[in-house]
Amino acid sequence: MMRQRFHIDFIGKAKIFFCISLGIMLVSLILNLVCMPALVDIQFTGGTIIKYNYGGEPAHKNIEKIVNETLKGIDALKNEKVDFSYSENLAAGADDSAKHIVALQFTGNKAVDISHKQAITDALQKGYPKNDFAEESSTAVDASKGANFFLKCIIAVAMAAVIMILYVALRFRKIGGLSAGVMAVVALIHDLIIVYFVFVLFRMPLNDNFIAVVLMILGYSLNDTIVIYDRVRENRRKSGPKVTTAELVNNSVNQCFTRTICTSITTIIAIGSVLVVSLIYGISSIISFALPMMIGLVSGSYSSICIACPLWVMWKNHSDKKKAEKKNNGGSTVKKASKKKAKAAKADTTKKESVSE
Amino acid sequence: MKKIGKPVFFIVFVLIAALAYTSIFGIYGENGDFDVTYIKGLSDIRWGIDINGGVEAVFAPADGIDADETQMEDVKGILDSRLVGQNITDYEVYPDYEHDRITIRFPWKSDEKDYDPDAAIAELASTSELTFKGGTDSSGEVLLSGKDVKRAYASYQQTNNSSSYEYVVGLEFNDEGREKFKQATASYTGKQISIWMDDELLSAPSVSGTIDSGSAVITGSFTSKTATALANKINAGALPFKLTVESYGTISPSLGSNALQAMGIASVVALALICAFMLIIYRLPGLIAFIALIGQLSISIAAVSGYFPLFPSFTMTIPGIAGLILSIGMGVDANIITAERIKDELWTGKTLDGCIRNGTKGSFTAIFDGNVTVIIVAVILILVFGPANILSSLFGVSTTGLIYAFGYTLLVGVISNFIMGVAASRLMLRSISGYKLLKNKRLYGGAKS
Repeated sequence: MMRQRFHIDFIGKAKIFFCISLGIMLVSLILNLVCMPALVDIQFTGGTIIKYNYGGEPAHKNIEKIVNETLKGIDALKNEKVDFSYSENLAAGADDSAKHIVALQFTGNKAVDISHKQAITDALQKGYPKNDFAEESSTAVDASKGANFFLKCIIAVAMAAVIMILYVALRFRKIGGLSAGVMAVVALIHDLIIVYFVFVLFRMPLNDNFIAVVLMILGYSLNDTIVIYDRVRENRRKSGPKVTTAELVNNSVNQCFTRTICTSITTIIAIGSVLVVSLIYGISSIISFALPMMIGLVSGSYSSICIACPLWVMWKNHSDKKKAEKKNNGGSTVKKASKKKAKAAKADTTKKESVSE
Repeated sequence: MKKIGKPVFFIVFVLIAALAYTSIFGIYGENGDFDVTYIKGLSDIRWGIDINGGVEAVFAPADGIDADETQMEDVKGILDSRLVGQNITDYEVYPDYEHDRITIRFPWKSDEKDYDPDAAIAELASTSELTFKGGTDSSGEVLLSGKDVKRAYASYQQTNNSSSYEYVVGLEFNDEGREKFKQATASYTGKQISIWMDDELLSAPSVSGTIDSGSAVITGSFTSKTATALANKINAGALPFKLTVESYGTISPSLGSNALQAMGIASVVALALICAFMLIIYRLPGLIAFIALIGQLSISIAAVSGYFPLFPSFTMTIPGIAGLILSIGMGVDANIITAERIKDELWTGKTLDGCIRNGTKGSFTAIFDGNVTVIIVAVILILVFGPANILSSLFGVSTTGLIYAFGYTLLVGVISNFIMGVAASRLMLRSISGYKLLKNKRLYGGAKS
């Protein structure tokens, strides 16, 4: 009796997968460039923070509404996305009518005109005549810190990538680990790009959450890829060098497929719970963490199966061919290739029955 | 392979249950009037600024002084000890050497009555240089400074001219200070000298004669609190220059307890759904995976709450909690890999014991290699963004709490996964399969036998 398994030809359909991934990236890139520039948190871009003080406790949501409507009427600030943060003045002697502070954070280097500030003040005063809205301060925030931070993150990720490639190369040397490691990292880059576009398309500013999601997906996607490589390593040991790389990898991916699906499901259940609950509670900062994470997880599983493995097979085939060419000085490569093909066809017919290990 | 005894399952189960209970509820006791915490539970976790709110201030050297790196390092060290002196241990100090800025953040709740962040920040910014000057004028000759003081302490003593008691700050000089103080008192005998903290006159005693005891006492209208504060200030040392407060404000707990409650609900929902899923798909190994998952989560909570005295409690932020919930989902991965392997084996018609043995053996390398790569990521994050700061030569000394915390929880997650998802799960599985009643292969995902 044989266990029911998946028989999906992941390697053969590689071109379709590449097209899907590239297509999504291309469309996102065009949207990104044409009408949806990436929003970056003020801590990375710098910008202007204008603080208004007021007394009493008007609802925060209404303040945001008034400000956003006012901005829409100003041409220069029409497309600005403003972050709001609320605080309380701690300075001694602040009287009650100026105790509360709402800070509007404008990202980017655009200066906010005095007349525009006045327009916002007027609108707020009109909306809340009793709360004494007044502009308290307007400060430009430096961005230099942010650029440094991003660079540091990139270097950290690059360091991790290099060490991981070395580790994979060492542990999987029997199946040509260096190329496997490189392809795993290619899949990671694929996931990072997808996560980036999720932030862009859902209009979420790139901030600490972005870094956290990217790092999490990094670990997850890599773990997924390694589990498949482990199967490949094991199957290669069992089957010997007769089986073609494509055949071998395809079998291994299919054998791991249930596990990939199940782990994805449990992980998505976990982060999905966070997403649903924060949607109900309306906690936007967690939504901007959970949503890209969820899409990133799907991308992470997908890229392991549909990007890393097919790419690695292509690489292997290419380098094998080159090796063969070198060995046989060109003449017998055709023969060898056709032999390989015949073997592959034979393996293909036996594939459907042979599953047990 | 050695056979695992039947009771092992229950021993492991009870250990996990005990760990889960204590890590959530903690163990508290009473010692007379004091509440004593023996083991810290969920309620002892320090919540980050995003949940509790806090204060942030940015300091810069006053008067446009261009500080060099060692000076900024000194400033950071002095601010560190001042904050600790004020009993604030949960703070962040971020120096930026290139731009001579220091940012300080500490959690603070607006309903805290007994703590005044306004005064705290003003005090942090002050140079706090102690000086002894000749005469009572602030421009008088500087006789001694805080550098000559070995130790300052608050003390309670009888006043000179009456029987009442007062709080004072006692000073012990170092050798150089002792010599200087001896000379100063010799030359100012019969005259007044004054003791200053920055521009504030603390006291101006008259010198009655040469003092060579190597100690002095600052009197003034101190209370117990102000005397202690002054002593702490002197002990922390003086800043090389005065700081100005560039910006200062409260940070509202933007997310608040609302968010904390939401995360609590989310984690319970996630746990319940994953439990159901694992039971339906993997049956008995699914149940064991769930028990192991509870153990894994307990270790993660213990690692942030300060359960183990060796690891100090960690500040938990909302992304940190979300990451923890995510680790619930990823935590069963090792069990899924193993259970799938066992299923594979069962279809080959081997005995159940053989299948479990081969399944656990065959799945180990995948779990190991997968987790080691995650450990690589976690360790690099901790080294780069934590106190170790291995890239400081490139980017300056600035730690990033969020990413450091993320790396820490990730590392804890992987290690507890090895303990629970691999070791404990295997012990439980091999032990429980010893029961005749549970020998049915269907319980492990095999076909009807």
